[in-house]
Amino acid sequence: MKESLMEILCDPLDKSDLELEVEERDGEEIVEGRLIGTTTGEVYPIEDGIPNLLPPDMRDEE
Amino acid sequence: MTDEDTREDLADRRGLERDVYQPAEDSRLLAEAAVEHARGRTLEVGTGSGWVAEQISRETDATVVASDYNLEACRQARERGLAVVRADLVAPFRDAALDTVAFNPPYLPTDPDNEWDDRMERALSGGESGRAVINPFLDTVGRVLSADGIVLLLVSSLTGFDDVVARAESNGFAVSTVRQESYPFETLSILCLE
Repeated sequence: MKESLMEILCDPLDKSDLELEVEERDGEEIVEGRLIGTTTGEVYPIEDGIPNLLPPDMRDEE
Repeated sequence: MTDEDTREDLADRRGLERDVYQPAEDSRLLAEAAVEHARGRTLEVGTGSGWVAEQISRETDATVVASDYNLEACRQARERGLAVVRADLVAPFRDAALDTVAFNPPYLPTDPDNEWDDRMERALSGGESGRAVINPFLDTVGRVLSADGIVLLLVSSLTGFDDVVARAESNGFAVSTVRQESYPFETLSILCLE
């Protein structure tokens, strides 16, 4: 995902801001990392450039 | 590795059509309407293969984001060069962040005793009424729309056109039909909600 996507993303649980932690970057693209809910503390992984912002109770279904 | 994991791996290697909805007539109809009406920051919800979002991105000046519940769909959409978010409908998008939201929802009414229970079902089935996904979408999408934002929603006659319109109106939307096509078993419409 591109960092500019942060402008439109929020924590799916309470719509609060997310904090971005980058582990691997390829140019403008964030390939690996995580998004963390600033009030919930929930961790949403970014894997292969795709942020997984499913709420935690839906995330384990597959 | 369990048997289930092995089956998943085999399915992944044999091709993705079992897992991800591929473009069809409904996709084309939504793409045509979206190319005409989409503007600004545009989200395609439930993008599947990513085809519709790609058309919007290619044919308009809109900044396009695609989302899907299904990881494999997210991967296919990303391979088309799209910005992709794995999401439940519009849950992880900020208030008033989007100018256009397009959605070809799972809408086939499904007998609860006769569901397939796999990813393709999730892509097609709208539960007993056909509106199991459409209703929560209509109830939440207003939050993420900008002041003059619009929703482009595909509706089939199989899903109960009047019920979908009524649900949209009860959420404060003015509803118009911007595209309509009839097929042997259903009429497909694209609603514009403002």
